[in-house]
Amino acid sequence: MNSSELDQAYTHLCHTMTRIGEPDAQLFLARLALLAMNRFDDAQAAKAWIDAAAADVSPEVGR
Amino acid sequence: MANYPDFVPYPFQAERHPARHPICTDGREDHRHRVVIAGGGPVGFATAIGLAKQGVASVVLEADDSVCFGSRAICVSRRSLEILHRLGVGAGFDSIGLPWRGGRSFYQGQEVLRFEMPQDDNQQFAPMVNMAQYSIEQTLLDGVPANADLIDVRWQTAVTGMSQDKAGVSLAVKTPTGAYQLHTDWLVAADGGRSAIREAMGLRLQGTSYEGRYVIVDILMKSPRPAERLAYFDPPCNPGSTVLVHKQPGDVWRIDYQLRDGEDPDQAILPEQVMPRVQSLLDMMGETAPWNPIWVGLYKANALTLERYRHGRVLFAGDAAHLVPIFGVRGFNSGIDDADNLSWKLGQVVSGCAAPALLDTYSSERVAATHENLSYGTKSTEFMAPPSFAFDLMRRAVLSLAVAHPELRSLINPRQSAPIAYSASPLNGPDEWGALGPRPGTVLPECPLTQISAGGQRAVFLSDQAGHGFKVFVFTADGILPSVWQRGDGESSVAVQAVALDAPHPDVDGVLWDHTGQLPQLLGARLGGVLLIRPDGHVMARWRDANPQGLAAVSTWLQQRLTADLSTSTGVTA
Repeated sequence: MNSSELDQAYTHLCHTMTRIGEPDAQLFLARLALLAMNRFDDAQAAKAWIDAAAADVSPEVGR
Repeated sequence: MANYPDFVPYPFQAERHPARHPICTDGREDHRHRVVIAGGGPVGFATAIGLAKQGVASVVLEADDSVCFGSRAICVSRRSLEILHRLGVGAGFDSIGLPWRGGRSFYQGQEVLRFEMPQDDNQQFAPMVNMAQYSIEQTLLDGVPANADLIDVRWQTAVTGMSQDKAGVSLAVKTPTGAYQLHTDWLVAADGGRSAIREAMGLRLQGTSYEGRYVIVDILMKSPRPAERLAYFDPPCNPGSTVLVHKQPGDVWRIDYQLRDGEDPDQAILPEQVMPRVQSLLDMMGETAPWNPIWVGLYKANALTLERYRHGRVLFAGDAAHLVPIFGVRGFNSGIDDADNLSWKLGQVVSGCAAPALLDTYSSERVAATHENLSYGTKSTEFMAPPSFAFDLMRRAVLSLAVAHPELRSLINPRQSAPIAYSASPLNGPDEWGALGPRPGTVLPECPLTQISAGGQRAVFLSDQAGHGFKVFVFTADGILPSVWQRGDGESSVAVQAVALDAPHPDVDGVLWDHTGQLPQLLGARLGGVLLIRPDGHVMARWRDANPQGLAAVSTWLQQRLTADLSTSTGVTA
């Protein structure tokens, strides 16, 4: 994706999550993560991206 | 009482202008006008000067007795500087404005983005200069005396009513010396976001109003810190908020900060609320100089526009026509583009060189530009003032990942104002040059050139070529024009400019020389090619071969385009 396509995807994600509403947002993001994870090359890549997303989210997570 | 620094005035003394009453019979001005401009702001004055440059007289009606007061537009784009230079007021912007070229964004105190606006050795102007709107308006006003015989500025003259028929517009105005009526062939409504003309005509802006509020504070503070755009997301000094900082001339600093959800705006602008937040921001930035507040106001982002900008003999421009969010600095700058587009078209129509249908292209081109400005402005606003929990959550995700994942940083970029192409304009002519360079509808790129005349050589820029009516560039090797481009007896509506792509012939006069050899790449120019530009510097047509065309053919083509009934092809009546 180029930066303009990334921008479009980002905005679509925000609008979709707004429509779904806050109570179901976690489930929505979890489903998106699952669908995206299935497109990773292998289990090692999946672990690396999960760790990258977890890094610095809060002090006790990550490292 | 809370202890905070005293308010001080802006470092600018606005001159007060008296009202003037024209000669009237039975409460109606004796003289009928060709053009009246409602609103003496940047857009109104830029339109008046643009008309005067073509010899067209106008009257500017301004309700106040001076240029604006308070905290308004501050960022003038490179494209606006090109236009303002053409209007003959550029020197004031060069001497007062603070140039800058980029900025930095921080998240929780850590730098997450450093951006630069496009800048290269070809440019004549900085990508952006900062200048307070009162100085912008004064600098435009300073351009009026040079056109005094064509611009009649009437201060303290407020429009109280209007009506129009096929022949013109009648206006009712009130002044301290009494009310009167005046009549005009054309009315330009440049009377701002709360346009009295728009109101009187029962027209409504349509679009989105955002809930997020920003407090806008101007302070006076001496600091050697350079001019750049600073954005602080969730800063340690004001957790959960977003803060923007801009330097202005005269030691004035603009600070915008977002109110948190649930904060009462009326409370939030009280000095005891504002001053501690400013102080903690300055502490965080490491600014230690004493400071004083000048102005505190509230801002709410709007993304609104009229459906079309021509309504019979009334033409809307600037904030009267559209309100775009401040993020991306497209408000003032799009207003100057409106003035630039409108003034040459209105000049052509008033002087009988074009059919009134040409003004429909003002509407269609500028409405399309507004939609582009709104799409960028909306994205910037959604980032700067997240309209829902989802935008807020995703912004936290982007900001917290941006340091480790540079590929995400483009999402933080503020998408600053950039020139807009009229790609779908019905004015666009043939394009025989292929994909390279500016297609018809696009603004000419900048390039340094050498002007060769009998008197010697002079350094000029490609952008200087706009603003002198329609101009056709004929690309030659040595600057010698083919005979079909030599001027015949009759007067042509098109100026012909020979461009030498190689070394100019020693005998040529009035030739532009591409001494850096960049035009073939920048414009797609080839030997024998012909490029027609509009008075506003947008490309109109590109023909492959100069010889069969010739000046007569291009003049005829242009004449047909300007006098055609374009309204059916513009889509503005839908």
